[in-house]
Amino acid sequence: MKLKKYLALTRAGIIETLQFRLSFVVMVIGNLLYLIVVYFLWDAIYESAGTDVVNGMTFSDTLIYLVLATALFNFMEMYAVWEIGRSIQSGKIVLDLLKPMEYRKYLFWSFSGSFIAKFLLTFLPTFIAVAIVTNGAIPFGINLLYFVLSVVMAVSINYSIDFIVGTICLYTESIWGINIMKQVIVLLLSGATIPLAFFPDNLRTVVNYLPFQSIYNAPLTLLLDGAPTAETVLTTLGTQLIWCIIMMIISKLFWKVSLRQITVNGG
Amino acid sequence: MSAIIEIKNVSKEFKVLNRHEGLKGSLKDLFSRDYKTVRAVDNISMTIEQGEIVGYLGPNGAGKSTTIKMMTGVLEPTSGEILVGGNVPYNNRSKNAQEIGVVFGQRSQLWWALPLVESFKLLKDIYRISDEKYDSILELYRSLVDIEPLLHKPVRQMSLGQRTLSDILAAFLHDPKIVFLDEPTIGLDVSMKAKIRTLIHALNKEKNTTVILTTHDMGDVDALCKRIVIIDKGKMLYDNDIEHLKGFFGSYRTLKLRIDGDLKKQADQIQKELPEFSVSADDEWISVLIDEEKAKVIDVLGKLQHSYNIRDMQLEEISTEEVIKKIYEEGVK
Repeated sequence: MKLKKYLALTRAGIIETLQFRLSFVVMVIGNLLYLIVVYFLWDAIYESAGTDVVNGMTFSDTLIYLVLATALFNFMEMYAVWEIGRSIQSGKIVLDLLKPMEYRKYLFWSFSGSFIAKFLLTFLPTFIAVAIVTNGAIPFGINLLYFVLSVVMAVSINYSIDFIVGTICLYTESIWGINIMKQVIVLLLSGATIPLAFFPDNLRTVVNYLPFQSIYNAPLTLLLDGAPTAETVLTTLGTQLIWCIIMMIISKLFWKVSLRQITVNGG
Repeated sequence: MSAIIEIKNVSKEFKVLNRHEGLKGSLKDLFSRDYKTVRAVDNISMTIEQGEIVGYLGPNGAGKSTTIKMMTGVLEPTSGEILVGGNVPYNNRSKNAQEIGVVFGQRSQLWWALPLVESFKLLKDIYRISDEKYDSILELYRSLVDIEPLLHKPVRQMSLGQRTLSDILAAFLHDPKIVFLDEPTIGLDVSMKAKIRTLIHALNKEKNTTVILTTHDMGDVDALCKRIVIIDKGKMLYDNDIEHLKGFFGSYRTLKLRIDGDLKKQADQIQKELPEFSVSADDEWISVLIDEEKAKVIDVLGKLQHSYNIRDMQLEEISTEEVIKKIYEEGVK
């Protein structure tokens, strides 16, 4: 069984994540604080706009979107850049490279356990809470299936981007600045901090051609749109799939080339 | 016996940026293309047989780690040829990984937050070890060391000694043909060192695993290695049995004497009488390093007995440590 060795990593990841109970509590508190800030910020924005609907979104639309975006962020963000960077700096990467497995896969499956644990422990409760509190603002139907499909691809795209940025660490040997830059770019351009509807038209056009919006905007749009047309669903999922493949290939090739560079020139 | 590792005329060069001093220099470095080439490993050849324990020695920065990284496939040699178990390691890293185990003394491959047994189970799946093999190797481990208390302890709560022990067990778990141990006893106490040496010895015997051991602790070398390879500045200085090493600089022995009176003064006087040997004194003993090719110890002793009142004496063979120190400092003549 080939899959078995990957699932073993998933299993270990789940156990490992569950070892740190306290970090969940801290994460939940941190999120609450963030969401309170978000609430008051957007409250003020809608207040000063003077209308109930801004850019086609009501206050509660915006808030639901942002709460779910935060919840998504919590389980999708894997800090792979940190992990790769730290392994490179400490030299631990040598040990990882000596596993009979591609590093890219090894790392992904090592993270997969924490995805599952965090999905169940942070995303799902938030999702249910939002659904109950807003009482019907989230439609329940086929869109949940689209959403799940979309999230799976989003995770893959997000990982590929992280991996590419992590690979850059092979050259720079520093992580902090690069990681912060990546995080800001991804969070902004993916629509995780501000819904894309609020972007100026020009910027939105550009963003639509970038892979980032496939990470947060795509799954959330599919989830929150009560009656998406078949066309919307197909284009959204199709775009994601294409990005998924492109980013996977880029990250794979970039890593291969870089690693060769390192093994030839040393480091 | 068959060769498991063959290294032929291997060299490895690194490109290093020429760094300049000061703030201005640092700014210049940002755009500099001024590289110099450093030869970390220079034309090394050796053949290692299945089941050998080879001590791979050299001062810090001699090129030991680089050689090991080339053997494991992490680095590609600039020139020359390496075959490990018939494979070229850097072309076939994943396949090679299945055949080797590694322990780097300062780092752990174990999962930090998990109990040891979970790490073992993971490695079992990653290396696709069959249930029978896994059970039998755990059985072997149980017979060699007391692992029960370790198995259910998270790795992060282990002492350094326990962790190193666990790492060594983990490296042997998938029954590799070769295990690389990079300073496995670094920072350990005497009893743990002894435990680890016994374990390595037993595993090598039991599984006929080839062990490549780098260390700065000559105790490790004396306890484990029949053969040693010494490199310095990338060049191979010595590759032979450990017995040969002692005769390498002629056959030296140290004669230690306890004499009445001021030792320092006496030592100076003896030095005058025996100009061909080096004489030194510490708080208790006067030491005379005797080259047995030039004079017999008994003759020297007889000569000294006439003029000094010798109360006590000791004869010391030169230790591996001293020979190696001499090689590091003076090179091979």
